[in-house]
Amino acid sequence: MPSDPMQPLSSKENSLFRQVVKCYEDKHYKKGLKAADQILRAHPNHGDTQAMKALILNSTGKGDEAFTLCKEALKNNMKSHITWHVYGLLYRSVKNYEEAIKAYKFALRLEPEQANILRDLALLQIQMRDYKGYLDSRTKMLSQRPALRQNWTGVAIAHHLLNNYQAAEKILTTYEETLKQKPSKSDIEHSEAGLYKISIIAESGDKERALKELERILKDTLDRASALEMRAELLLELGRKEDAEKAYRTLLDRNNERRAYYEGLEKALGLDRSDPSAHSQLMELYNSYAAKSQRVDAARRIPLDFLTGDDFRQATDRYLQQMFKKGVPSTFNNIKALYADPAKKAVIEELVLGYASGTSMNGSANGETNGTSDRFEESVLYFLAQHYNYHLSRDLQKAMEYIDKLIERNPKSVDYNQTKARIFKHYGNITKAAETINHARELDLKDRYINTKCAKYQLRNNENDVALNTMSKFTRNEATGGPLGDLHDMQCLWYLTEDGEAYLRQRNLGLALKRFTAVADIFDIWQEDQFDFHAFSLRKGQIRAYIDMIRWEDHLREHPFFTRAALSAINIYLQLADNQGLSNGTEAAASQQDATERKKAQKKAKKELEKLAKQEAEKKAKKANPPKDDGETKKEDTDPNGLKLLETKEPLEAALRFLTPLLEFSPKNIDAQNIGFEVHFRRKKYLLALKCLNAARAIDPENPKLHEQAIRFRQAMNETKDLPDTVAKAIEETFDIVPADADLKAYNSEWRQKHADSPAHQQSALNVQYLLDNRTKGECEADLKKLLESASITMEQAANGLEYLDEWKSDATARNEYRSAASQKWPQATVFLQ
Amino acid sequence: MAESPQPPTIHEGASGPHAPTSTAEDRKAAAALSSLDAPDDDSAAGKKDVDPKALGEAMKNLSVTENSKAGPEKAGPEKKNKTIRIEPADVTLLVSQLDISKAKATELLRSVDGDTVKAMTAFITATI
Repeated sequence: MPSDPMQPLSSKENSLFRQVVKCYEDKHYKKGLKAADQILRAHPNHGDTQAMKALILNSTGKGDEAFTLCKEALKNNMKSHITWHVYGLLYRSVKNYEEAIKAYKFALRLEPEQANILRDLALLQIQMRDYKGYLDSRTKMLSQRPALRQNWTGVAIAHHLLNNYQAAEKILTTYEETLKQKPSKSDIEHSEAGLYKISIIAESGDKERALKELERILKDTLDRASALEMRAELLLELGRKEDAEKAYRTLLDRNNERRAYYEGLEKALGLDRSDPSAHSQLMELYNSYAAKSQRVDAARRIPLDFLTGDDFRQATDRYLQQMFKKGVPSTFNNIKALYADPAKKAVIEELVLGYASGTSMNGSANGETNGTSDRFEESVLYFLAQHYNYHLSRDLQKAMEYIDKLIERNPKSVDYNQTKARIFKHYGNITKAAETINHARELDLKDRYINTKCAKYQLRNNENDVALNTMSKFTRNEATGGPLGDLHDMQCLWYLTEDGEAYLRQRNLGLALKRFTAVADIFDIWQEDQFDFHAFSLRKGQIRAYIDMIRWEDHLREHPFFTRAALSAINIYLQLADNQGLSNGTEAAASQQDATERKKAQKKAKKELEKLAKQEAEKKAKKANPPKDDGETKKEDTDPNGLKLLETKEPLEAALRFLTPLLEFSPKNIDAQNIGFEVHFRRKKYLLALKCLNAARAIDPENPKLHEQAIRFRQAMNETKDLPDTVAKAIEETFDIVPADADLKAYNSEWRQKHADSPAHQQSALNVQYLLDNRTKGECEADLKKLLESASITMEQAANGLEYLDEWKSDATARNEYRSAASQKWPQATVFLQ
Repeated sequence: MAESPQPPTIHEGASGPHAPTSTAEDRKAAAALSSLDAPDDDSAAGKKDVDPKALGEAMKNLSVTENSKAGPEKAGPEKKNKTIRIEPADVTLLVSQLDISKAKATELLRSVDGDTVKAMTAFITATI
């Protein structure tokens, strides 16, 4: 039987097979394929060879072919651990970890001693957070090679993550006891293992023993800072105040700017900031630290947080004067947190205005040289410019006066020009802001910070190409895909997000969605990146950092950047669901053309010039640094404009990629709950929609969007008849925001009255009025415009009004009237320009 | 990712998956390869001067404690699983209405004694 799959190969073929394996390991894929084909010619059904061939095919980007071949290999040889292992590897490479784990387990059943499979399995289990499975695999690995410290540590980690503290500790101790003599002092793995064990004991709640153990090894630990911090915390938690005080004083001698140490010291001394009678003692403490060094900031700045009244005034006066004399440019940023307290804000304003009037009169009266007093005066003016630009103390006109004065004195200052751009931004004049900050950038072309800020302002002004050109001054432009490719490679989230938002404002949904998808992809990569550390951290013995990372990864997508990109992406998917015409791209492109044609023509000439400059720069870069042919050619982007993303047949299901993590990790974000309702409501998953409503109510019962959505929900419930009985019953039992028998119109006007002073609530009430009876459109439009006269309406809220007009499909006249009314109120704002 | 060229000897993070190998010789090769991959392993173990006798003893103790511990632990959760009749149709309904897995739907139903309405209300009022 020449084609028996189980038949052992001849010795020549056997060596060929080994060659295949070696070629795969060495990444000589072509050679490996050749050898595999040679075997398969003699034994076309040889499962192991087929599997190896599949593995090589997969590595050369032929994933589908690989899967087909591997399935055939499995059919030919179910009893081979090689075929199963390869099957697992293929699944792993497409990130289907559950199937991969299953396949590995099959392979292990056939060959329980295979260390490679066991290791691969353990990696997947920890990645998938299957701690029990991980413990299993790790225990087996330990019994295979007990002499290896990392195998012991691995088992301890598994126990630890299962919250099995005692077992974890015992494993670590058991290993320590097998050591014939104490490892050398420079053994970082040993030192880290010691601290790791203490962190486990402390986590288990046995602080006393953790402290004892820590004091035993403190002398020998290499990471002194963490060991001392741990010790101070433990002493404090155990109530050993005197020792804790000493411990915190030691830490402060090492680093006198660390706020946490001061807080620890306060607690050790039993001083409570909120208790005024403790203030004199606290001041004594902070003064003693301030006296130790001219340069220390924390000891001078912290008292401003808790002092009040005259004490606050004096301390702030001292602090500000010192900072202004030194000319510290970040003084305002260091102080602005105090503005949350209106009384403190008033004192600071008064003090600084006092300096301003004082300095201009007697600049050098107190015997200082002119240099210092100039510096003092400029610092004061700069502080005031920022003060009046800050949202809690905003008076843009004054801010502009101060910054203009400064620019007159020092026209070349990047800081001053940047602040001026920022003032324009707060005026709503995005165009001027972008121009001004570009001017600031040109004052120092080597300053990466201002370059980056400039690109951001340009994106806010919807100048995607110009912004990219700006960014290209600091990117690796020879990367695949040019500067934009490099920004993706460097995982530059803020740029991708702002770029996407700019496209969204220009109604280029394809590119916008593409950028937001890129952001989500980067978060996926960060999750993937853990793989590198499951083995690496163990090998290097950095276990505490590894545990921190594991716990951090579990909450990765609660990061605000994810939330922001997700909200925008879901918004696009909702638009696609509501308007199928958008998805074929043509309509989107057409409507977009009208609006942006004019602007485009203007920009085109500018762009052309820039493109030339860019090409030249690229040429230069290429000459200086010829592109390396590292054999790793990246896949070509087959969808550069994101049109394929728009073509999705099920936009609402596609939105779940963003929505599910958003609701899981940021449930307290009201925008997340609001948009979650919109998706589930359209999917007719009414229970899930209701869940979002209930969650939104728990966050803010008076949220205006919640009001709109609750009424829409009630309306839908009144009209829907085909729900399963149990579902309808569950909904009636839990949905009590709008009563079942409510007259919705009356309910809405009552709500509107209740929130007569809030423009945002009024807008929502108007939207509901329109939804309940679209014959009232004209009335709604007029009322919406009238809201612009309200004293409390903000520019953002006024801009939201435009979105309502979009939703109501209001005609051009209504929109123009709204825009011109808004323009009168905010003459600088670019959003209201026609 | 940054694609800075690195010499091939540098090993960053996890190794690529190893080729599964079958013959004894291959296994030796693979073992050699994996020891390359973890250069510190054996030398470190030697440096740390593990007492083989103590290690053997420790391993023996380990298996004893493992077994004794595994016993009650495993019995724990099983006791809770009372026999409640869960209708497959209810599970299907929950899966489709709440976008959850079958396992989770079953668990949810079990926690409310198989009452579908209760399961739904519990799910949608869960505190955030």
